[in-house]
Amino acid sequence: MLRVSKLTLFVGILVVMMFGLIAQPVLGKDQVLKIALDAADLNVIHPHFANNTQDRAVVHLIFNGLVRYKTGDISEFEPDLAKSWEVSKDGTVWTFHLRHGVMVHPWNGHPGYELTSEDVVYSLRGSADPAQSAWSGEYAGMTFKAVDRYTVKITLEKPVSPSLFLPKVADYAGGLITPKKAAEDLGEDFRIHPVGTGPFIFKKYTPMSKVVVVRNEKYFRGAPKLAGVEVLYMPDMSSRKFGLQSKELDVIEGPPSQPWVEEMKALPGVKVDVFGPGEGAVLHFNMTKKPFDDIRVRRATCYALTRDEVVTTIGKDVADPMYSMVPPVLAGGLTREELVERGQQDGKDYLYATDRKKAKELLAKAGFPDGFSTDIYMSERGEYLLPIQNVVAQLGRCGIDVKLHIVDHATYHHNMRADMNSIDLYNCWRPTADVFLTHFYLSDSGVVTGESPVTNFSHIGQVDANGDGTIDSVDDLIKAARKELDAAKQAELWKEAQLKAQDWAVSYATHIKKFTFARRDYVDWGYELRSTLILSPQINELTTISK
Amino acid sequence: MGYIIRRILIAIPTLFIVVTIAFVMIRVAPGDPAEARLGDYATKEAVEALQEEMGLNVPIWLQYLRFLKGLLQGNFGRSILNGKPISNDLKTAIPYSLELMFTGIVFGVLLGIPLGIYTALRRNALPDYMGRAFSLIGLSFPSFYLGILLLLVFAIKLHLFPVVGGGDLHNLGDNLSHLFLPAFTLGLIMTAYITRVTRSSILEVLNEDYVRTARSKGLRERIVIYKHVLKNALLPVTSLVGVYSIVLIGGSIMVEIVFSRPGVGKMMIGAMKQRDYTTLQAVVAVYASFVVILNLLTDLIYGVIDPRIKRGR
Repeated sequence: MLRVSKLTLFVGILVVMMFGLIAQPVLGKDQVLKIALDAADLNVIHPHFANNTQDRAVVHLIFNGLVRYKTGDISEFEPDLAKSWEVSKDGTVWTFHLRHGVMVHPWNGHPGYELTSEDVVYSLRGSADPAQSAWSGEYAGMTFKAVDRYTVKITLEKPVSPSLFLPKVADYAGGLITPKKAAEDLGEDFRIHPVGTGPFIFKKYTPMSKVVVVRNEKYFRGAPKLAGVEVLYMPDMSSRKFGLQSKELDVIEGPPSQPWVEEMKALPGVKVDVFGPGEGAVLHFNMTKKPFDDIRVRRATCYALTRDEVVTTIGKDVADPMYSMVPPVLAGGLTREELVERGQQDGKDYLYATDRKKAKELLAKAGFPDGFSTDIYMSERGEYLLPIQNVVAQLGRCGIDVKLHIVDHATYHHNMRADMNSIDLYNCWRPTADVFLTHFYLSDSGVVTGESPVTNFSHIGQVDANGDGTIDSVDDLIKAARKELDAAKQAELWKEAQLKAQDWAVSYATHIKKFTFARRDYVDWGYELRSTLILSPQINELTTISK
Repeated sequence: MGYIIRRILIAIPTLFIVVTIAFVMIRVAPGDPAEARLGDYATKEAVEALQEEMGLNVPIWLQYLRFLKGLLQGNFGRSILNGKPISNDLKTAIPYSLELMFTGIVFGVLLGIPLGIYTALRRNALPDYMGRAFSLIGLSFPSFYLGILLLLVFAIKLHLFPVVGGGDLHNLGDNLSHLFLPAFTLGLIMTAYITRVTRSSILEVLNEDYVRTARSKGLRERIVIYKHVLKNALLPVTSLVGVYSIVLIGGSIMVEIVFSRPGVGKMMIGAMKQRDYTTLQAVVAVYASFVVILNLLTDLIYGVIDPRIKRGR
């Protein structure tokens, strides 16, 4: 019997020794930055299809646009592949002058080549083709021409302002330039073997694990200081945290959660980045469903809510209150002060500052002196659940009993688009006020019933919003803004559209949720990180590790 | 041979039923993968074109027939999210999952059987109480929680093992260093199961008449234990190891997520999150195959250990 216990001990020691002795400590190379994202795997790294964080984080390392959002600050554009550009007086012809000597990355034994206007035209035509791009609608009515080796001319059917045109040729989505020869040579494989002109060259993709890119020595802004980057896919939050603690990871994606931010800040040698632009959260009241077809009920719902309480629930570091559909960081966005000022000018209340007494009075006038009850389906994801639970609690204080049905995220999306909810909470970012308003307020975008349904959940533009018996729409303002070339006038039209919608209480913006990442303190981005459209920190030629 | 063929013939319809259920259930779930892939910016035409490319515009029975045809040819098709051949991803993922499960089972058997024997032979003594408490804790701990605890102690505090990934399969040292903690997590839970079963099985056999007879013949205790008790007690343990190994397959999914191992479990979670129908079907088929093969192996081993099974007695 003694032998049995000895046997147990022996086997145990043997096994641990076997692993322990053979095991080698895995140490990252000093100048390879390892960033872990909250995803099980990448989806696609073709820039014209990549539409989520885990894909964009890789795409942005490899590709450039004709222009680019200023690194770390999306409020400005600066040259990228194009060294300069000009627009015709009528605003329909844009001419871009390309940098000389921009080298396409080598691939499959091909040494790479100099990027020319032929590549740019090929790429933009691809972006406009529904079969080759998820953003084809953004390029409708455009023609592209290579004038000479370094000049590209883009002609538009109708003129648009720089603030609407430049995002289409910037380093985002369809604006990222895919070199012709590489794309044609690789064919379908280009989706998982991207070749671009950016600071890093694609090296390897290991399914469910990581993407490895290496320094592009010939990068036109100078060779990156990092030897390479590994983008890892790790869906478990604890594992990412442990990886950062053990220094196997240098940067990790976090949830938009105050406790997480505080936990990370408390770790020695760890810094936290909380940055924008964030995702705006807006409650959309479905005006085709009773009792939200009554403007008094919608206004009562708005008055019953306090934005600060929602923000406190989510966390002061990770959320800010938001007051209208378009976030104020974008041209056409409205601040709290503007809403108050414009309300005073117009003799209206655009802000809906909390007033529960007024909310109850409005409900009584609408025939609901004791409140009413409604059902909504909501995603199980924390960024939806946390704010909506607070909203439900707040509405309950005014007698509005919201029965919350928690469903998986895909079902939530399906139910919203099937017009099943009376109130929808939608978190998102869109690059311009035009896209925000087109998707959420244009009549054609009405879910189920629109000509080309997107995310107009309130059905503004399809129903009588103010109770005067006619259909109320802001389509004319959105369309007029699209044609307006004067930036100030354009912004004013966008604001007008929102003020009307605010007056009709078709939606209620609650907050803007920022993005959270933690990094070891030896990682220096090389720029000030305030906002980025790829929703994760940009890693470029300036980024360094000083271990 | 007839016994083996019979077992294989029973396994085939089981596999067929499982993949059929998976196919139907995945399609009943709401959400359009074409819309999900293209996002809110996509035009209606682009969504319809992609639905056609994905084969989602044909009736469900035709999709099912295509799926079955591909499966029989060993072709799982392409991911509907990114067009990647699923077989390539599976080739990468399956070795990581298999080595994890196999090592977990080995841990469980190597630790659980000796511990079960030890505690049974010291019934109601301190080692027995400790063994039973360990077993109870092991059974109560979810694998992901145990994994996090082990990571915290052995990787973060003691710096003995790495945290991230599955390591390089072609580098033995790197691979084993990444394998130890996840396999140990699964192994500890397996150990708890096996310890309990072994202990109760031995206690049952110790009360059998033939053990009493062996002892009354004056045989030494060690001979009684090894020749008469263990041989008979380990028979039910063998079949239960098979059953618990199937439980372990389920546990391995969460362990792969916690330890960010690029295995089939991680592949499944990613496919579920993104409504990747074709990948999810393939992964369910792989897991179903794991279970069926494990059952088959258990039956075959049991048949070898106890020839009465083969003879249908």
